[in-house]
Amino acid sequence: MLMPTAVPWAEDEDLGSFLERRKVSRREFLGFCAEITAILGLASTMAPQVAEALQAIRRPSVIWLQLQECTGCVESVVRTAEPTIGDLVLDVVSLDYQHTLMAAAGHQAEKALQDSMAANRGKYLLVVTGSVPLNANGVYTTIGGRTAKVILEEAASGAAAVIAVGACAHWGSVQAARPNPTGAVGVGDIVKDKPVVNIAGCPPIGDVVTATIVHYLTFGRVPELDYDGRPMFAYGARIHDQCPRRANFDAGQFVEEFDDAAARKGWCLYHVGCKGPATFSPCPIFMWNTRTSWPIGAGHPCIGCTERGFWDTMSPFYTRMPNVAGVGVERTADVIGAALAVGATAGVLAHAAATGVHRVRERRAGRELPVVSGPNAPPPPTTPPTNPEGR
Amino acid sequence: MTEQLGGTVDTARARGVAHPADTPVGTFRWVYLWHWPIRAMHWVAALSIMLLIFTGFVIGRPYYLPAGQVTGEFFIGWMRLIHFIAAGALVATVIVRIYWLFAGNRYERFNALLPVRGRDWVNMLKQVKYYLMIHPERAPHYLGHNPLQQLSYTLIYVVAAVMIITGFAMYGQANPGGLIRGATLWVPQLVGGIQNVRLIHHVLTWVFLIFIPIHIYLSVRADILERGGTMSSIITGGRFVRSDEEFVDG
Repeated sequence: MLMPTAVPWAEDEDLGSFLERRKVSRREFLGFCAEITAILGLASTMAPQVAEALQAIRRPSVIWLQLQECTGCVESVVRTAEPTIGDLVLDVVSLDYQHTLMAAAGHQAEKALQDSMAANRGKYLLVVTGSVPLNANGVYTTIGGRTAKVILEEAASGAAAVIAVGACAHWGSVQAARPNPTGAVGVGDIVKDKPVVNIAGCPPIGDVVTATIVHYLTFGRVPELDYDGRPMFAYGARIHDQCPRRANFDAGQFVEEFDDAAARKGWCLYHVGCKGPATFSPCPIFMWNTRTSWPIGAGHPCIGCTERGFWDTMSPFYTRMPNVAGVGVERTADVIGAALAVGATAGVLAHAAATGVHRVRERRAGRELPVVSGPNAPPPPTTPPTNPEGR
Repeated sequence: MTEQLGGTVDTARARGVAHPADTPVGTFRWVYLWHWPIRAMHWVAALSIMLLIFTGFVIGRPYYLPAGQVTGEFFIGWMRLIHFIAAGALVATVIVRIYWLFAGNRYERFNALLPVRGRDWVNMLKQVKYYLMIHPERAPHYLGHNPLQQLSYTLIYVVAAVMIITGFAMYGQANPGGLIRGATLWVPQLVGGIQNVRLIHHVLTWVFLIFIPIHIYLSVRADILERGGTMSSIITGGRFVRSDEEFVDG
């Protein structure tokens, strides 16, 4: 994608005729529409509607901001073995501003951004990767001398919709992990006045970005979102419930170490810390690098990167349970729990023994036991107390 | 202060608490304490908690097949099914218990949940001393639960509630658009992520494993030492007590 194109999308041309000029066949285009329809979780009867709507769209303006981030999300989105039509769509919509990939640089690039925002105010789609540092007035990320917060607020004010791509834009990712020295927050923490779609993941799957943009272009609104602003079509199911290794989980076949026979057989990675049971992502279905593979498919446990705060909440990545803080790494919950349970049982036994000793001692002292006696109990003592003073 | 172990009839009377030593042998009355829903709830909860602990540990660190094909094997699947069914049974007992907080008798209602009055706390201290064998003769006599029992059983109710809430927070993930998921979304947000929910659910299992031996021991011990029919009361619903024995909650 984003290759220099000899046939730029003309200003008033619709997508259908543009693709025709790019020598994309009708069959290919319909195939793409069917694929996107499936990814979005729509009925296959919707595919013609998607095709119709998509081919009629005019060249949309998309501004892609990269803030405090590693560029991995851009890598993920552009990382394809061959340019697909989806890439082409992204290609043509991404032209206005993308400071890593655009040809312009410096003042020219910033001017392109300002021009595009002014010309398409209220109509452009804003894609953001990267978090926004707030500590020390946001000096940890500046572009063209302006902080990420200022750039984002300005760009968001004129956007029709905001798509936050990646864990950084979602909630801050690794720089927002404890203790979050730069005060990094996600886009949704800054932009409050319009819907923010969170394409979660570190990085997210490129197809989800494409499908979300296509959904926006086709229907003029963002797709249905879950409680954390993530599109339901992609994040509506748990990895554990879509995992090709689920049969091994249900059967009780687990990898214990990364080089054991079970690992070679491709058994379940639950014991080596897989967070698939706590993670919502389409990885098992969409996969990566044009459907080549994905982490669990390659034998690595899921680390839960689509979940908010995963660096803190999903770690340690290679054990099932978090460690109990403050008592050392080895003292996990079970050790403490088992110690307490054994202690309780030992206490019970000790108490039972002490009760027995106490009883015997009382009996030898000739005293009636201080408990309710039964019908066959010995008669109450008739002798006066041996110690009238009490105590 | 002036009494001592055994036989001090007058001081016991002065306290208004009859001492067993001065009562005639053989006159008993039967007191009906626990209605059948409470007893059924107790045993269903006991069975389901046992099943939940066992299957929970299997789910927490499962292993079954060292080798072989997946075909036809579903051990962890069955364990999870049993776990979820037992969890449903436990929820049913909670519903019954909550209903019986309104419908039950004085030993089963709200006021039997917690020691609230000053006298209760004094009696609880006496009960603790009784278990420590310090002035065991001064232990208060209760028909229903003594304050220490009230406190510990209510604590177990609270732990069970936390287990149910955290359990459903994890269970709901299988159906993200569903009612259970929607109703439990606040749980991971409250405790800092679903993994902490998992940890809490896992660790609190040990509270039951600590509670169960103590609970069984103290019940059997009371049955042997006090001969008050503690054990049979949770089966038949009633206790035989000496007709002249006075009770704090009698």
